[in-house]
Amino acid sequence: MTKIWAILTAAFALAVLFVLSAHYLGGSGDITSEPNDAGLPGEPTRIVALAPNLTEILFELGLGEKVVAVSSDSDYPAEAADKRKVGTFWQPNVEAVIAAKPDLVVTLSFAQQKAAAQTLNRLGLKVLTVKIEKIEDLLAAIGRIAVVAGRRQQGQELLDRIKMQMDDLKSKFSSTRRARVLWVVQAEPLRVASANTFINELIELAGGENAIGRTISQYPQIGTEELLACGPEVIIQSAMSKSDIGGQQRNAEVFWSKWPTLPAVKDKRIYVVESGTVLRLGPRLCTAIELIGRCLHPAGPAREQNAEQQVKLTDD
Amino acid sequence: MSEIIEVDNVTFGYDGRPVLKDLTFQVAAGTFLAISGPNGAGKTTLLNLLCGVLRPDSGSVRIDRVDIHSYSIRELARTIAVVRQEFVPVFEFTVTEVVLMARTPYLSTFGFESATDRELAAKALEITDVARFADRPLSQLSGGERQRVFIARAFAQDTGILLLDEPTSFLDMKHQVGIYDLLKKMQLEQGKTIVTVTHDINLAAQYSDHALLLAGPQAGCRWHIGKTRDIFTPGRIEEVFGVRTFTGRLGREKFFLPLGEYAKDADVLSSAARTDPQD
Amino acid sequence: MIEGLTPKKLLIRIAAGLAVLAAVMCVCALLGTEKISLLKVLDGPGDVAAGNTDYAIFVGVRLPRVVLAALVGAALACCGVVLQAILRNPLADPYILGISSGAGLGVVVAIVCGMNWTFWGVSPISVLAFAGAVATVWLVWFIGHLTGKSQVTSLLLAGVVVNAFFSSVIMFLVSVAASEQLRSTTLWLMGNITEKSPAVLGFGAVSILVGILALFTVAQRLNILTFGPHQAAALGVDPARTRLIVFGLSAFITAVAVSLSGLIGFVGLIVPHGVRLVFGPDHRQLLPLSAIIGATFLVMADTLARTIIAPEQLPVGVVTAMAGGPFFLVLLARYTRKVSWLQ
Repeated sequence: MTKIWAILTAAFALAVLFVLSAHYLGGSGDITSEPNDAGLPGEPTRIVALAPNLTEILFELGLGEKVVAVSSDSDYPAEAADKRKVGTFWQPNVEAVIAAKPDLVVTLSFAQQKAAAQTLNRLGLKVLTVKIEKIEDLLAAIGRIAVVAGRRQQGQELLDRIKMQMDDLKSKFSSTRRARVLWVVQAEPLRVASANTFINELIELAGGENAIGRTISQYPQIGTEELLACGPEVIIQSAMSKSDIGGQQRNAEVFWSKWPTLPAVKDKRIYVVESGTVLRLGPRLCTAIELIGRCLHPAGPAREQNAEQQVKLTDD
Repeated sequence: MSEIIEVDNVTFGYDGRPVLKDLTFQVAAGTFLAISGPNGAGKTTLLNLLCGVLRPDSGSVRIDRVDIHSYSIRELARTIAVVRQEFVPVFEFTVTEVVLMARTPYLSTFGFESATDRELAAKALEITDVARFADRPLSQLSGGERQRVFIARAFAQDTGILLLDEPTSFLDMKHQVGIYDLLKKMQLEQGKTIVTVTHDINLAAQYSDHALLLAGPQAGCRWHIGKTRDIFTPGRIEEVFGVRTFTGRLGREKFFLPLGEYAKDADVLSSAARTDPQD
Repeated sequence: MIEGLTPKKLLIRIAAGLAVLAAVMCVCALLGTEKISLLKVLDGPGDVAAGNTDYAIFVGVRLPRVVLAALVGAALACCGVVLQAILRNPLADPYILGISSGAGLGVVVAIVCGMNWTFWGVSPISVLAFAGAVATVWLVWFIGHLTGKSQVTSLLLAGVVVNAFFSSVIMFLVSVAASEQLRSTTLWLMGNITEKSPAVLGFGAVSILVGILALFTVAQRLNILTFGPHQAAALGVDPARTRLIVFGLSAFITAVAVSLSGLIGFVGLIVPHGVRLVFGPDHRQLLPLSAIIGATFLVMADTLARTIIAPEQLPVGVVTAMAGGPFFLVLLARYTRKVSWLQ
């Protein structure tokens, strides 16, 4: 029996070494073939986008007509909603993508989409995978997509426009004092966005600073103690659903009145924002920054503020 | 007659307390041995030593002159069959399936039975009178019927030696006698060697050729072996079991009726002779 | 004369089962969110990549899924059968000895550490799930043998202990994870059949099939083992050795299955029972038939999972649980044991 143990233990140790070596020596996970100018015979004419921000980028680059299918949560621009649907951004439907006969599929780089990208790639379809987790990723992605889709010039123009708008907003919202902002992803249990998220990048560009700071996870759960300790001056909460933002705003004010010592509650600076625009890292970046900026540099009391913003948003 | 089972100076104990000490005896092939003794005397332990489940602390057990532990499990299964106290398995095997399992030591890897295997199993079902239950799951039978099935299985195993652990303790009179008749038949007609552990002295006296009495650790692990009529005597029985019995002579054997202080006819013991002066 | 189980009878049943499985697999591969026709599929791949979309969908997306579902279903059902036998416990399933939490821990570690490498086309999640499963089984076996008393009980207890401990570690890691990672973990833990590369599928198929065939060789011994170790030894079956072989094989097979598809519950528990209710507990028959029926069941469950709320997909573990429960109840109510016309 001891001989069997020795064999098993040795096998186990070998297996552990095997896995560890794979971790350190194994190649990076970029598996999709990157079609470049040479790889694609001419411009793509049938494009599928698997995420709403990718859809927006494509439309901004003037490729709206070439887009044949989008993920079901692509709701902007309005024309996108009429396109064929290929599953959600979280669970892309590979069959539907194939049935749409694309010559270019644009995907994001996180796990679920990576798996779909691998399958599509295996079947011979051209797949472009971009990582969009921070603002600089977004800008790089816009550049790459523009190159691959043969809209280099429009891409550059879009980038220039965005950069200019960002600079404008930065100067508009800069102030000597940065407001402490708490971005609430979920009210119960209390989950917030920490400093190492793209949401925070938006906050900083809008002239605020994150009340929580850097934490281990990007969207940590915090308790009452931490909440009181970080003393936020502005609380921004992402809306649960698209409907009745006004109602949600009222509920939020009631919810936060539990902690009357918080500066945000005292000054009535609680805002519920529609998350579709803000949480989507896409070409409407600056709209999002502007929206947040108005929360941080208010012209009037919060409720009117919000209503004004909602109106502005739907006009877009 | 050859000695098929040899127990040579076997000592065995649990946690340092010896249960069997320097036990030595032989069982001739084709004979019927009954092992008896009070509770805790080590009867089941001895049975386990005889089928190789336990190893003696010292001494050895030999089957057909070869140490029992040098047999492979399969070889041993072809030599000794064991019937333990009745048992219901977790899954619903039928009587036929259970009896056919006895042929395992003779099957190839994928384990399908040949015609011979089926014949032996069929005969076993006949001889133990459980053929009419052939397709019923074990759990649907009564305790006695189940016991017969396990004996049928032991029979189908076609071994020279049969070890049984209290095969009749839960059975009614009819079934008790039925089983002993069967065992005796197997011994006389098939030449099998039968060793049973039993509490029932009277049945043992009527059916077995030899008897082994274990006194147990409370009495210094003493043991007595010999022909039944020499071992089953009132004096011996009182000594080993610590109970007085009314003894009567049937014919070739005696019968023993234990009577306690409050038994209705307890006075019989003090008055009448202690039975036969031949003891 | 006794009939019992003959090789001929068994082969006929296996052949019939395989025919049904093949038919089910073909039909299910033709079902999905997109309508495809068999005639168009037979036209071939087309000259440009994914030119014939029906073919591309059938061969590139549907077939790999159906094959994977069949493999995992067979693997889980077989492991359920053998574990119920050696543990003499009808409630045993392939995950009982810590595999679920071990694999889960491997996966959570992979996700939380943000591992990004691939190993011959296999994702880190699969590799670590496998590694975690195997390591945990080894640990449970080791702990279970420390006491040296009743093997079966100590194994079960060790499994419970390890499961509890690893589950707590998982919960800890999950609470420090970012929300997308969390979602990934949960999705994985609910069991998913997804499209895998031919290489991975091939490796999985070979491992699982070889493992299952190896288990067939001990099927007869399992019958005996259900009577307990002493009775087994008396009938010529070495209980310790058989247990080790079975345990090792089933751990390996389950680990491969789990690394390919996450934790799919119910299959390993109810398929053995269902097959046993209809065909009886003889493992020479129970094993192959459970493999076939397990495969069929999971193929159908997966097809349901990907069509019932199309275009979205349910995790297949949800479907097996919802479909499996009532199905088993019906089976229990209708058959007491073997129905005579099935013999």
